[in-house]
Amino acid sequence: MSDDVLRTLREARPGELDPDVRVEEGVRAAELARAMATPRNAAGAERTAPRRRLVRPAWGIGLVGAAAAAALVVAALPSGGGGGAAGPRSQAGGEPEQPGDARTVLLAAAEKLDGQTEGTGAYWHIATRSYSFYRVGNPAYTVVTADKDDGWTPGKPGGRSYGRQQSLGAKPATPADEKAWRRAGSPSEFEVKVSVTPGGGRYKSMKLRTAPGRQTVSSMPLVDGDKVFWLGRNVTMKDLRDLPADPKRLKATLMRWYGGHDTEAESVPMSADAWLYRVGGNVVTSLPVSPKVRAAAFRMLAGLKSVEGIGKVRDAAGRTGDAIAMDEKTPRGVLRHRLVIDRANGNALADENVLLKPSGGESAPAGSLLNSTTVITMEWTNTVPR
Amino acid sequence: MADEASEEERFTAMYDACRQRVWAYAVSRAGRQVADEVVSETFAVAWRRFRDVPDPALPWLLGVARNVLREGYRAEARREAFAAELRGWAERADAGRGGHPAHPGPAGDIAEDVAERLAVLRAMAALPEGDREILILVAWQGLTPREAARVVGCSAAALRVRLHRARRRLVRAVEDRPAERAARSAGPAGHPAEHGARPEMRPVGIISEERP
Repeated sequence: MSDDVLRTLREARPGELDPDVRVEEGVRAAELARAMATPRNAAGAERTAPRRRLVRPAWGIGLVGAAAAAALVVAALPSGGGGGAAGPRSQAGGEPEQPGDARTVLLAAAEKLDGQTEGTGAYWHIATRSYSFYRVGNPAYTVVTADKDDGWTPGKPGGRSYGRQQSLGAKPATPADEKAWRRAGSPSEFEVKVSVTPGGGRYKSMKLRTAPGRQTVSSMPLVDGDKVFWLGRNVTMKDLRDLPADPKRLKATLMRWYGGHDTEAESVPMSADAWLYRVGGNVVTSLPVSPKVRAAAFRMLAGLKSVEGIGKVRDAAGRTGDAIAMDEKTPRGVLRHRLVIDRANGNALADENVLLKPSGGESAPAGSLLNSTTVITMEWTNTVPR
Repeated sequence: MADEASEEERFTAMYDACRQRVWAYAVSRAGRQVADEVVSETFAVAWRRFRDVPDPALPWLLGVARNVLREGYRAEARREAFAAELRGWAERADAGRGGHPAHPGPAGDIAEDVAERLAVLRAMAALPEGDREILILVAWQGLTPREAARVVGCSAAALRVRLHRARRRLVRAVEDRPAERAARSAGPAGHPAEHGARPEMRPVGIISEERP
């Protein structure tokens, strides 16, 4: 047997491990884009850069992917174990002031957009600032990291897209957290564990620093020459420009892209409403569509049964808006996905996740803001970096 | 300055040639749950360090994937995930659908071949992770000992020694499972060269014997 045990082992190789099996086209495109969005400045590449990518895929797979995947970074565990004595407190996001009606908010925002015209330019530019909150130390306190992110996507096939990113560093989230941080000796680095699977389950270590990182600029040709964003599949600028401005038809068009699962993981089932809420949220916060299509997306969201109004909130950047939300049960507790909307002009301000009801073992108090992507600019422009 | 477009094309070609192999390696080390993330991370590293990637790229890429696995995933979790993967494969092989379509067994002996593969798959679960890794690199990835040595970061000679020992322990693990041997032809399957269960015993002389 000794002579042929390797041959038998070769023959026992499961068929799915055959190197000639073709990789799914969507997976291929996403993985290539994600790899090539990695900054190339080899010498200066920070140790942590590729790790961060695991939990927060960057602009390369599309801002949409990045925004949606932010939901995967649902919570952080304290590195020192033990929950600490932090009482519930309002973080940057704050508690809603009064219950509101989702429909009223969404339809008011849609009406504001109806009257707007779209700008022109060769590139769709989105500037965001993303915040993630982490529990660190023992006794635990909360720090927040901020990241600046700009993406430019060409309006025509065959062009290049550009990205510019910078970590702005971590700092204590509130004055009380700052006191706790000082008591802990004002550390400049924090070791945290982040979930890298939807809803928790697997964790990965990550180092946060108080010092800002270097700004990196990256550029790459569009995947296959024309794919611009990731919505659970790659879509072209034409796909997005062809989205209808009628809410029913918009819903029907988007549903053609729905495969019964999470946009970020085929193995994670997702209901149609939850999927439409996520993709509809992407339409209003990131995608290069006309104000009329954005208005249709607000109206479509207003028709989803499990969307509720939660009143006025402050987003992580400190701006006040009306929030709508959809809640999701996860192994780590009930997560609230909320969209903050400025109904005065129809702008979506932020896409945020709040830990509504922590499950046992979570150290973050109920109502904690976990992460937020705030929209700073969304416009057509002719100017790109360099 | 290198032509960036052609670099992107070369990177894509490398990805197309190696992606499934990197994925298969990750699955056979830590199960499919983590395999996609490991592949993503591996190719992100490869892009950043593309100028350092040797030709052929596969051993280098598998080496990166190996580090990603080691740094990012607890050994215990890897073992559990892979054990679950093995159980799934063994169950499917047991149902008669396993094996490799490219290597059909000889006619008439199919049942026996299936039983033999099943026995080997099950025996793999009993091996130390280091043994399993080397056997997988050689038998499932088709690497030469020299290439496998590059992946695990040792000399080709040391790799040959480790392969020899891993193969021997695999044989023993197969033979320690009489239930699956029932389907195999009868007869003593012992190996006179093996003296008892001493897996860490060092096969003297192998280095000089097998050195190219």
